[in-house]
Amino acid sequence: MSEALEEQFVSLLQKNQNIIHKICRLYTTDSDAHKDLFQEITIQLWKAYPNFRGDSKFTTWAYRVGLNTAITLYRKKKKTIHTIEFDSTFHKVKQEDYNYEEEEQLKLLYSGIKELNDIEKALVFLYLEDKDYSEISETLGITEVNARVKMNRLKGKLKKILNP
Amino acid sequence: MMDELEILKRDWKKNENSFNQITEKEIYGMLHKKSSSIVKWILVISILEILLWVILGVFSVDESYLKTLETYHLKTIMPIISALNYAVILFFIYLFYKNYKAINTTDTVKQLMQSILRTRKTVQQYVWYNIIMSFLAVLLIFICQVKYDPTLNSIIERNSQNVTTNTLYVALLFIYIIVGLVIVGLIWLFYRLIYGILLKRLNQNYKELERLDL
Repeated sequence: MSEALEEQFVSLLQKNQNIIHKICRLYTTDSDAHKDLFQEITIQLWKAYPNFRGDSKFTTWAYRVGLNTAITLYRKKKKTIHTIEFDSTFHKVKQEDYNYEEEEQLKLLYSGIKELNDIEKALVFLYLEDKDYSEISETLGITEVNARVKMNRLKGKLKKILNP
Repeated sequence: MMDELEILKRDWKKNENSFNQITEKEIYGMLHKKSSSIVKWILVISILEILLWVILGVFSVDESYLKTLETYHLKTIMPIISALNYAVILFFIYLFYKNYKAINTTDTVKQLMQSILRTRKTVQQYVWYNIIMSFLAVLLIFICQVKYDPTLNSIIERNSQNVTTNTLYVALLFIYIIVGLVIVGLIWLFYRLIYGILLKRLNQNYKELERLDL
């Protein structure tokens, strides 16, 4: 693959890297695994890049390859000790809008998400990223109706965590 | 009351820029690292499997083998069977290559899983084909051995006073079947171990997706 292509890819990825970080945040529990998955997604994106025609947005395409890697292709190197505690950066709330109740709710929600299975995590991720049901169904390969039904159930499940 | 999940969404967005940014230089480094995806593992193991059976086929042909074929009256039919066998192997390799090429990370999650499982299935069918062929070959050799083998026939003759020939045949067949089953069992176990570990998560996720689409 040509150097120009490589350069273009690296710069696009560098600018859009937060998408991948967010996927890693959902699917891994420690920073080593986070780095590891980030690297695997980068490799998969690069392998698929020659087929990226630019008719969809780079970000849409990256969501897809990233989730595919996290859900389907990624092999955890070693068993990591499962901890409920979420990435600590998650809970950093700026001093001025610190709200104790909200903070507690968020903690509960994030640990609830950690307990979901890989497919449910993908749904939550796409929901948090404001994707509509047609995109969710196109990414996962399930029908729009079923994506909606499952998403509503998931929302119910998460709300129940807050109001048991 | 505000939707609880809106709090989550707001927090999610607020944290969007909290990640340690990776530099372009680091990304360059990653591009040249090796992938450790399950597709790569499946590819490596599949090629080893195919190679194993091909090598077994090639190495089992030697002079004593050819001589045995002659005594067993199999000399004309064996080359035909072998040629057919190699044609089937080539066909399997073609299928495997085609399936492997179809694995595409830009497919939907479900399609990607299906293509991976299809590659796996092809190799599995290839292995079962070999097991069944080996079994048939052993059976054919058994029949010919009983019919034409001079050593075996002399043993049978010597013992024909004590036991009936039929009992001997049954006993022999029994031993063959037991040995065959043990070998198949071991291969099956080997598969369960390797692919069980490799594909556990993928299978679970695939089932979950299927459940969603019922």
